[in-house]
Amino acid sequence: MNQAGSDHPSQTRWGLKTKLILSMLVVGIVPLIVGLGMAFWQGSREIRDVSGESFKALAMEAARKLDLLVAEEITQTARMANDPAIISELEHRRDTPQNHRGAAVETSDFEAKWAAGEPNAVRSIMENPLSTLLREYYTGIHNVPGQVQPPIVRASTKMLFLTDIHGMVVAAIGEKPELYHTQTPWWQGAYHKAIGRLFIEDLHFDKRINSYVFTISVPVMDQLRYEVVGVLHRVIDAKEFFSPATHTIRFGKTGHVMLIDSNGLVISCPILPTGVPLSDPTLIPLVTPLQPGWVQASSDGHGGHSTSVIGFAPLLETSRATNGSIDDGSWHTFVWQASEEIFAPIQHLFTWVTIFGVVGLLLLAALGYIAAGRIVTPVRQLMQAAQAIGRGELKTPIIIRSGDELEELAEEFNRMNEQLNAAFAGLTHQVESKTREVQELRQSTDQILDAVSTPILLIDANEQVQYANRAARETLDLHHNRSLPMPLFDLLPLDPTEQHSLRQAIGTGEVQASQQIKPMEREVILRDPLVPMNERPLTDHRPEIHLGSRLYQYQAFRLPAGPGHQSVIGLVLRDTTDESRLHEQLIQAEKSSSLGVLTAGIGHELNNPLFGIIGLGEAIAEEHSLERAKAHARDIVAHGQRMAAIIRDFSGMASKEGENQAIPVSLEDAMDRALALVEATSPTKGVIVTKLYNGGIHVLARPDQLQQALANLMTNAVQAMSGTGTLTLTTALSNRTAVATITDSGPGIPRQHLSKIFDPFFTTKRQGEGSGLGLTVARRIIRKFGGELRIESDEGQGTTCVVTLPAVTAAEGERSWAPTVSQSEPQSAHSSS
Amino acid sequence: MGSNRFTIRAAIGSLVILGGLFSLPLAKESFGADGITPEKVADYVHAVLEANRTVYTTIIVNRLQQKGILAATEQWEQDHTLPLPAQFLQQTGRLVAESGRGIRYRLIGLSPIYSRNAPATQFERQALEALQRHPERPVTGIVLSGKKRYFQAIYADRAVSPACVSCHNSHPLSPKQDFKLNDVMGAIAITIPLE
Repeated sequence: MNQAGSDHPSQTRWGLKTKLILSMLVVGIVPLIVGLGMAFWQGSREIRDVSGESFKALAMEAARKLDLLVAEEITQTARMANDPAIISELEHRRDTPQNHRGAAVETSDFEAKWAAGEPNAVRSIMENPLSTLLREYYTGIHNVPGQVQPPIVRASTKMLFLTDIHGMVVAAIGEKPELYHTQTPWWQGAYHKAIGRLFIEDLHFDKRINSYVFTISVPVMDQLRYEVVGVLHRVIDAKEFFSPATHTIRFGKTGHVMLIDSNGLVISCPILPTGVPLSDPTLIPLVTPLQPGWVQASSDGHGGHSTSVIGFAPLLETSRATNGSIDDGSWHTFVWQASEEIFAPIQHLFTWVTIFGVVGLLLLAALGYIAAGRIVTPVRQLMQAAQAIGRGELKTPIIIRSGDELEELAEEFNRMNEQLNAAFAGLTHQVESKTREVQELRQSTDQILDAVSTPILLIDANEQVQYANRAARETLDLHHNRSLPMPLFDLLPLDPTEQHSLRQAIGTGEVQASQQIKPMEREVILRDPLVPMNERPLTDHRPEIHLGSRLYQYQAFRLPAGPGHQSVIGLVLRDTTDESRLHEQLIQAEKSSSLGVLTAGIGHELNNPLFGIIGLGEAIAEEHSLERAKAHARDIVAHGQRMAAIIRDFSGMASKEGENQAIPVSLEDAMDRALALVEATSPTKGVIVTKLYNGGIHVLARPDQLQQALANLMTNAVQAMSGTGTLTLTTALSNRTAVATITDSGPGIPRQHLSKIFDPFFTTKRQGEGSGLGLTVARRIIRKFGGELRIESDEGQGTTCVVTLPAVTAAEGERSWAPTVSQSEPQSAHSSS
Repeated sequence: MGSNRFTIRAAIGSLVILGGLFSLPLAKESFGADGITPEKVADYVHAVLEANRTVYTTIIVNRLQQKGILAATEQWEQDHTLPLPAQFLQQTGRLVAESGRGIRYRLIGLSPIYSRNAPATQFERQALEALQRHPERPVTGIVLSGKKRYFQAIYADRAVSPACVSCHNSHPLSPKQDFKLNDVMGAIAITIPLE
């Protein structure tokens, strides 16, 4: 543990071993403490309840016993009071008048003597026959045979005397009493308005006897039991009287029974002296109800302040007579045992369980230490092995023989280590072979690149040439003695304009896309040799550079960059010097050939009527009939008109280029005018015209030219349908673009003709019907106004001409063409119906 | 000693009987024609006592017990219950005595549960014995206590309720346990001083 701690101070403060031991201890301690607490609580409760119940029972038993003891004493006294000799003597004293003077003097005289203790006076009472009778009773002579008064009880009677109806002592034994007693509470209580009542006087200190006493006063009734004639009074030493009964009841070391009165004064207790009050006055109401019971109090009444269990019970019979009635005082037994003693068993149990618990915990800790050691040691071995594997240093296999998962884990570690080693070995081999492959690949790539006759350069982002193939080296006069990399523009001596365009080409990825579009545009423009080309400075945008006398077309491509590498740009230089020369020649050839076609077309077109005119002219020359000559002349006029038309067509195509003053034109209006023109010149009887106009579309164009272009298209459509079919005209506006379509239901255009339909003089019509210039002219006009013409046709399905033109706002068109629009609307409505 | 006491008792007893026999016409004379004789007074008192106790027994105690509200038990003070009918009479007798009017009454019997209710004098004992035979008429007489003279009327007291019989037959201190309903169980002794 310490060793490991020195290795890894941060881990071992709460290392696995400590945690295991601690968790075992916690698992042991928590139930132990909970169990101990619950057992202690429950045990205390049960012991308290059981003790309380048994204390209550004991208190009741003791109360009954003490009650009997007092009742016995009362019975004894009552038997004396019922003695006929005593009754008749007292009746006599009652009936003897006392109020004459002589008697009074005699009485006060006697009182003085009695108080002085004059032997004659004392003897006259304490040794008179009644006193003798009392003594006889007292010593048990008059007892019923078999009933023996206990000597202790007899000894506890300190005074016993009889008073007459006037409260004067008639007879006495024991200590000498006072002579008159009418004013004492016991006398008045026992006399009780001459009815008589048993009166037990509560505990008090008597100075004559020098002890705590209680008294029993029994009224002596006359022989009719009509009224009281005297009182028999007994003074009893409380401790002496009760201690034989109470002191014998002891249990445990401190358990005992005591007798208290309702004021909390101790009458008899083995521990407390008689006459002292209970130490805790709050205890008195708890233990002096008139029913037996037990209570858990916060003090014990003996000066202790620990929680106490106290049993109590009233002396019912005795209490009935205490101070005259039960309401004026009562006596109670009080059973108590020191709480340490009551709860001693549970405390012993607690102590022992605690000791066993501690021993158990120590065992648990020891076992935990061993168990944790058995678990942790292999784990630590594994950890060190894992570290060794991580460093690649584990040579010897881990050996753990614990026979559990850890052993399996160690085996797995060994297996993993072997597999890792094997994998590493295989990997090294693979890396070598792959490296060889890469080298071969590079060599072959170099060879391929060298074999290519086109110069290829690889440039990094800093315009440094990283690689040049053989062709590049030769072309750029790069020898092996000049080491790569080198700046690009050191290698390519270019003027600043070309440098700029080349930088753009290699700097942005969009270069390639623009390069792809440009040749197409150029090609499209070159298709029509008759259109005078706008000599745009194309060379500026062409990816071309001049190196010496030669022209190179370059193409840049971006090589994907590997991780951690800058992207490399490839630059292919293609020598287009010869190619562009050839291209120019081709253009020239095409132009001449088109001129030839044009010349042939015009010649052909003009030849036919011309030959007709020549023939007709010859015929007129030889004709005699004027009528026929006139007819021939008319034919000549017709042929001439036709030729004029051809020339007009041609001139319309070639000459009106300059006049392009475009103004807003209503597209639908132009469509309607073109349709009217066509209907006037071509046979359209069997053609149904359907118009689907959007309305209010205006485009920027010259009205007559737009009208002619649309008329050309419609003428084609009507002619294609051979005079019968459906012609559909639509206009639409989408995204500021006006779209007009002209659709026929004719036979369509054969596929092989689709690519030629825009060629000048290409026609499918019979000789004399079409010049082959209609579509060419229409397309040129539309393009001039920024639009486009597209022909869509499926063979046998008809043909659709789609004209798109930039639209202008309706307000603009409205302003300049309002009358025309209002004029055209009824016409279009008529046509569509 | 014992013989001595016996002679004293016998002397007192004979005195009482003699007093009872001879003082009756004297007592009548002393009240005169307009006065009420002690017999009448005792009769009245007895009638009231009987009536009160009967009402208490039949209307109060029986009903409360039948309803299960409150029972009559011997330890009625301690149990906070109703006194038994006999105790009711004794309790009223105590109150009457405490009032100091002079007239007193109590229950006596030849087989009392408590010895304090045994006959106190020979006159009472003989009266009880006479009432066993002729319960319908009270025994009256003038008795002496010392020089004091008292009129006593002793009325038979029957077991008027089953409760009386069952209680006396089952009480552990009862010396006679074969009472039957309507038996003469004892007597009410009414004592009136004659001075």
